[in-house]
Amino acid sequence: MTSPFLSVHEEISSAPEAAVMVEDLWFAYRPGAWILKGVSLRVPPGGFWAIMGPSGAGKTTLMRILAGLLPIPRGRVFLLGHPLHEGLPPVMRRMVGYIPQQLGLVRGLTALENVLMGALARHDGWRTALGFFPRAEIERAYALLAALGLAEKAGEKVIRLSGGERQRVAIARTLMQDPQVILADEFVSDLDLPRAAQVLARVRELARERGLTVILNLHEIQLVQEFADHVAVLKEGRIVHESAAAALSWPALRELIEAPPEPSPVPAAPPLIAVDPRA
Amino acid sequence: MGMKAERMERRMTVGWALGPWREFGLGLGMLAVLAALLYRMGFFEAGRLLQGGLNLARFAREMFPPDLGILPTIGGALLETLEMALAGTLLGFLFSFPLGALGSRTLFPAAVVAAARLLMAAIRTVPSLLWAVLMVIVVGLGPLAGTLALAFYTVGYLAKLYAELFEGIDPEILEAMRGVGAKRRHLIRYVLWPESANAVLSQLLFMLEYNIRASTVLGLVGAGGIGFYMQIYLSTMAYARLTTVLLTVLFLVLAMDGLSAWIRRRYLLNP
Repeated sequence: MTSPFLSVHEEISSAPEAAVMVEDLWFAYRPGAWILKGVSLRVPPGGFWAIMGPSGAGKTTLMRILAGLLPIPRGRVFLLGHPLHEGLPPVMRRMVGYIPQQLGLVRGLTALENVLMGALARHDGWRTALGFFPRAEIERAYALLAALGLAEKAGEKVIRLSGGERQRVAIARTLMQDPQVILADEFVSDLDLPRAAQVLARVRELARERGLTVILNLHEIQLVQEFADHVAVLKEGRIVHESAAAALSWPALRELIEAPPEPSPVPAAPPLIAVDPRA
Repeated sequence: MGMKAERMERRMTVGWALGPWREFGLGLGMLAVLAALLYRMGFFEAGRLLQGGLNLARFAREMFPPDLGILPTIGGALLETLEMALAGTLLGFLFSFPLGALGSRTLFPAAVVAAARLLMAAIRTVPSLLWAVLMVIVVGLGPLAGTLALAFYTVGYLAKLYAELFEGIDPEILEAMRGVGAKRRHLIRYVLWPESANAVLSQLLFMLEYNIRASTVLGLVGAGGIGFYMQIYLSTMAYARLTTVLLTVLFLVLAMDGLSAWIRRRYLLNP
């Protein structure tokens, strides 16, 4: 099944021309219950991609695989040219910033402390575990919060921040990591539309400045049309549409989502059983 | 059966997990078990309970009024009880936090977790009074034995509570932190502690309250504190003095409850 793409893979793995390359990716939490059924994607460096699709389509699972949080039972995934399916060296993990749906901020720490956590990849020794961070990193974390308009909230515990403020802290933490790819799982879905637009505008701006590749799960077609440059629609574990973001209209999306599913080909070889590492 | 009748029937059985008749039967069954157990213990022998009531009345007559003359004598022992409870709880806490972390599946591999949990269960198996006897054998009579006994007992319970607490931490936070490259030491320092500090302290206070009560009986086996006097007054039938001891313990327990309630209100409810 993957043989026609073999030459492409080899080229990619030596000279990365795609930031994220997914080839025939299958995934199941339980044997036989496929969540992803042969997903293929090719996101160019600097791309700002949106992934849309109904709940349960596998969007979060795809994100978690790209973030290196789940095993890859079948298919190939290259991140910046490195084969994720063969295990990613820890150095590479830093290149990918992942913002989970509920943001994953530590509520009992301040905004600044949460942002500083992004520096742990560079300083993973005992000194940081005891609370000693290099002055330069602290200043950088503060500058990132300031750039996102949160300078005054730096010392505030996250539990006391509003939803939009938390979103920005999560972005600052990810930027602190100095990633080349940002994966964000529906991270504006808790905000109202104008606020979500504000956050996304800022993310796009910061991504452009730094030449980052961004992949977002989004629900709102207006946000996709306004901010993304490319959109892929995931439905029942398969990509059913891919185009420039502006080319996907609301009626077209509805038609895609409401269309009856195609019969899915079952993989021939018995696949490995994927195990959720959290379980 | 029409739609309306069906709906009626459904409404009639709302709130019964197993259906009304089965649950009623279950309730009756439980009452029968209770009655059988009490019968075996002699609860229904009228003469025994009556005699018991008379004994109690005589005992109560001798207990009052309390003999307050012994207050200076028992004051030191009461202070010792308080010191034992404080030291034992804090000493136990020092070991409970790391052991709790070792016992949480979200942080450590299954083998480590199993070993830590086995240790907790083994410590919990031994009741506090037996720990006191053991410690008296190990370090001799006195408050050191009581303190160590309370420390062991505390570890058995707090470590278990903490392990459950740590496992309840939102996995997304741990995932996000692992994603930025945090090591286990960072997870403990920057996720476990800040995410659970309130509950950790709240349970520590609860343990302290509990240990104050528990420490009062440790003196029965010579492990220090006010229990020594309880034992003496009980065995010499000096019930008026025993009353004084019990009243001072009550006062101590109430004072500690009040103090910990104040700490909770002041520091724990507003993170």
